[in-house]
Amino acid sequence: MPSLQAGYAPNLGVFLKSLKTAPLESSIENLISLLKRRQIRNSRPCAIATAHLLLRVVAKFRWTDIGNLLERIQEVGQRLVEAQPREMVVGNIVRRVLGMIRDEAKEDRTEDASDSTSTSQLGSPGRERSESGSFRTEGGAPTFSPLRFASTDASTLSEASGDDVFGGRSQPTSRPPLLTSHTSYAVLNGVPVQQSMFNLLSATPTPSSTPPHASSPHGKSTISATTLAQRIATTTRDLKAEVISGIEEIIDELDQVDDQIAAYAQEHIHSNEVILTHSSSLSVQKFLLKAAEKRRFTVIVAESYPNDHEATHAAVTGKVSQDLEGDEMSTETFLKPLSAAGITVILMTDATIFAIMSRVNKVILATHAVIANGGLIAAAGARIIAKAAKVHRTPVIVVSGIYKLSPEYPFEFESLIEYGDPGNIIGYGEGGLVEHMEVDNPVYDYVPPDLVDLYITNLGAHAPSYLYRIVADHYKPEDINFHKPELQF
Amino acid sequence: MIFVSRYDLRMQGVLNPLQVLADSFETRFNPFTLETPRCLLPLANTPLIEYTLEFLAMSGVADIYVYCGAHTEAVERYIQASKWHPSAPASPFNSLEIVKTTARSVGDALRDLDARDLITGDFLLVHGDLVSNLPIDAALAGHRARRIADKNAIMTMILRTGGLGSHRTKSKGITPVFVVDPTKSRCLHYEEMHPLQANKYVNIDPELLSTHTEMEIRTDLIDCGIDICTPDVLALWAESFDYEVPRRHFLHGVLKDYELNGKTIHTEIVEEHYAARVFNLQSYEAVSKDVLGRWTYPLVPDSNLVAGQTYKFERGGLCKENGVILARTCKAGKRTVLGKDTSIGDGSVVSNSIIGRRCHIGKNVTIQNAYIWDDVVVEDGSTIDRAIIASEAVIGKKCKIRPGSLLSYRVRIGDNKETKEGSRITRAERGEPPVAVRTDTSVVGEGGEGYPLDEEEDSDDEGVAFHSNLIYSTAHLNLSSESISTLNSNFSSATPTQSRSRLSSFAGSISDDGDPSSSNETFHHDAVNGLLDALKEGDDFDSAKLEFMGLRLSNNASDHQMRRAIAVAFTKRIAQLVEGEKMEASKAAAKAFGAPGAEKFLKEVAVGTKNLEDDQVDFIACLQKDLVHRGSGAIILAAVLKELYQMDILEEEAMFRWWDESEALGEAEDKEMKRVREKTAPLIQWFKDNDSEESDDSEEASDDSD
Repeated sequence: MPSLQAGYAPNLGVFLKSLKTAPLESSIENLISLLKRRQIRNSRPCAIATAHLLLRVVAKFRWTDIGNLLERIQEVGQRLVEAQPREMVVGNIVRRVLGMIRDEAKEDRTEDASDSTSTSQLGSPGRERSESGSFRTEGGAPTFSPLRFASTDASTLSEASGDDVFGGRSQPTSRPPLLTSHTSYAVLNGVPVQQSMFNLLSATPTPSSTPPHASSPHGKSTISATTLAQRIATTTRDLKAEVISGIEEIIDELDQVDDQIAAYAQEHIHSNEVILTHSSSLSVQKFLLKAAEKRRFTVIVAESYPNDHEATHAAVTGKVSQDLEGDEMSTETFLKPLSAAGITVILMTDATIFAIMSRVNKVILATHAVIANGGLIAAAGARIIAKAAKVHRTPVIVVSGIYKLSPEYPFEFESLIEYGDPGNIIGYGEGGLVEHMEVDNPVYDYVPPDLVDLYITNLGAHAPSYLYRIVADHYKPEDINFHKPELQF
Repeated sequence: MIFVSRYDLRMQGVLNPLQVLADSFETRFNPFTLETPRCLLPLANTPLIEYTLEFLAMSGVADIYVYCGAHTEAVERYIQASKWHPSAPASPFNSLEIVKTTARSVGDALRDLDARDLITGDFLLVHGDLVSNLPIDAALAGHRARRIADKNAIMTMILRTGGLGSHRTKSKGITPVFVVDPTKSRCLHYEEMHPLQANKYVNIDPELLSTHTEMEIRTDLIDCGIDICTPDVLALWAESFDYEVPRRHFLHGVLKDYELNGKTIHTEIVEEHYAARVFNLQSYEAVSKDVLGRWTYPLVPDSNLVAGQTYKFERGGLCKENGVILARTCKAGKRTVLGKDTSIGDGSVVSNSIIGRRCHIGKNVTIQNAYIWDDVVVEDGSTIDRAIIASEAVIGKKCKIRPGSLLSYRVRIGDNKETKEGSRITRAERGEPPVAVRTDTSVVGEGGEGYPLDEEEDSDDEGVAFHSNLIYSTAHLNLSSESISTLNSNFSSATPTQSRSRLSSFAGSISDDGDPSSSNETFHHDAVNGLLDALKEGDDFDSAKLEFMGLRLSNNASDHQMRRAIAVAFTKRIAQLVEGEKMEASKAAAKAFGAPGAEKFLKEVAVGTKNLEDDQVDFIACLQKDLVHRGSGAIILAAVLKELYQMDILEEEAMFRWWDESEALGEAEDKEMKRVREKTAPLIQWFKDNDSEESDDSEEASDDSD
């Protein structure tokens, strides 16, 4: 007889386990079904599932050229986004991966074009890299060089590919390697690529049409077909490895984002402050716990009835029910409850928010998604809190990982709001009410940017008006509407 | 339809459940199910089966066996093409097998499943019309904990509380009564009550009161038909070959026989989440409303569960797919679903309705509480209120479709026509071989196409009166009051008073047979088994007769009940001979009635020695009713009547009267009943022809009747 706890209902943990063995196509469909059935929900689980799935997609992809890979990821991404358009992080992660692949390809090319002397410096970091490096030296074909990084990035690269990948993260201000590469993209290229990357790249591996490399210093065109094929193989394997490690970086970022945000806590929370928050966000919880290490303050938690009150109670008291969101792999179960952290915690109903606002020094909100105009989608009730804070001139701080930041800017914010099960509001047993009443249960709220004072992300604190800049740093303009083929040129 | 699914518990963490689904074995959705299986009827523009399969996928079920009643090919084709088929990459199931059987009831299907020996571990049994978003893990864990503690805990039923007041999703008419021991969540007793019942009592064994300190008698539960079963359940089904439905027969029977078999059945009463069955048209409406009200979330249209759907939810409850064309001045609001490429003209108002794909709604049309499937055309100025309109139907200009109307596939209603309340119009081809039935212009108007479906008295056990209409009404049923459950001991006079006197008509006595009042059932069950054993053994009937009369006295059974029991026993035996041993119907009948002492027994007990015509007519009716359930019932009926005539048990006059009474019912006659007696027509005709001549040419008659 098995243990009694073994549940059969699929969730994120089951999905990630099945990823290893299940065929790719069924994994994709599986995730789509899970999203549709809301068995994977909320930003973090969705982001993790998407990233892991894309990792699989790339790993299984039979490499022809990079354009096909982009197409493939777009196609998969489009299906995922359609499955549950309101989980905006799914689209964000797909865009991140697309942008990363474009970067890899871009740098591959710029590297080719620039300097082959960097080879010697780069010989050390990785197995494949050194192998391809040596190949490159004997072949001497800069056009198809696998080495993508300019010499200036070499140090970052070696650090990133070493064992302690994120060793540099201990200082709160250091950025993850992936972001460094984004920045370098911005520095190197200045302006976004104007012509379609796809066209450029699809031409690359065909031997007959060597890309027009005016800037190539060597210009060797007499390469035999066999060596060329070999080179393509090496190149692609290498690029693929780069892409995979890029996705792994994103996954690691998802794991660490809350701790990175929490690192800023002590700059924003001071002793004897009264902080208001609501619902049970892990990010906010970690943020407050971090601050509580050094300071004594009061936290007022609004319970966010009816959709999240049980989880909120659990977060405050520490009695985490076992199947909370079905998210087995999170560290939530090990997290110290707020009340155990030595700070005063007051749990109250949502109705008292306005009454208590005059005593609050700061409002800290968690988000479901942040949109490019600086507004956010958060658990229902966030908007009245922000509005009450506005009336009382209380600063509103939003805590959010960069991965929740979406470049989408919908015309209709209503369309981003999910309506859930009215059974949370009135019992289904109330026959008369069920028959004669229409019950709406919005799960999310839209908070416009003018109600938010500050965003704290894993990159630091930003004003809402600055978010567009971060969006531009993280997503390529050509990827923004990847899920709407009709909007692409 | 029923699904069964197995949770095989041999290896920890390895999920190997199996699911069996069987079709409805019922005709409550006529006229729609004449052409489509019930599980493929659209509920909020998504076939019903999708909801059930989503539920199973959500529960992590891996292996499924599907049992279908009618239209197996259609279900098979649908599943082949859907994402559920195991060969499809999207399928969450390891296997999904559609079992082909001749089963005519849930009981037959489960016995078949047992015979196939497919199931070795625990399994989940659900109906193919289940809509639920219930996470089943807690119930499973509870079931397993009980299993480990006690091997006799064979089954866990999941029940949803529905509140004490009236509730649209609760079963109307028939009230299931669960007697539960809340301390052990054990179900102690089950009964069904319905308004036609003569005695308004629930009979509870006084023994239960002495052995259980706490007991709840609940009528507030919505029975969603999700059962977690162990293989023992199948064994019990196999033992009791006359159980046909899971609740009224199986559950009731097993609980009653607790002393004998020692098996316990448990309940898992859930207060959250949604679970309901679409088992009749009223529940179709109720569940549709629940879907519109998002009670079934996430199984709502804008989750786009089926590939290719593109529903988007807008504030106020309008859910529409891409490509919907709404005229500027039309009002489509409030809890409405609109399928792809549907257009609505100027000035039309649509509320609380579901409209399928590619429908065309003209100008100034008013539609409320209507369920309109795909490709329907509603022309200008019509009004539709609380109706179901199936695919490709056409409604002319300025029509009025009154509440409760059911328009089946391709029906066309002419201009300026009003349909009557509760009218059921179809164009289905009827008979064997199927032939088109003539259009009845008095119903569908000039230029219309379709004919009204016979007002049928279905043989359906639970009394079709409650199920066959969209709008639940007891107005025509002559009711007195709400059902009240009362504890009463065996000694108090729980005599099954005969409501027959009230319902003296022929049809009335049939629906009365479905009366599940318990002592009635007890007698019937035991008597049938006794007689059947005697028939099988070929023993002398004298001992069987003694036993039978004893049973009759102890249960205070009426003559009618007795005749019913005898009729059922014989027809069952004959059906077994015909199906099991491939005997011809006439030979099987001869064999069964030829058992030693059978003739005497029938003469003395079944029809009485007084040669009363009434009794004989009643006996024939009992035979006819029972044969409705059996394969080749029509042929058997003819053979049986001929045999009984030859044995002088039945007289010509009785047969004529029975025939004429049936004929006189005309359209009111149940179509199944009619089907069964069709084959007897030549026999009756032959009797009538020979009535004067008294010639003896029975050989020919038997040929005819085959």
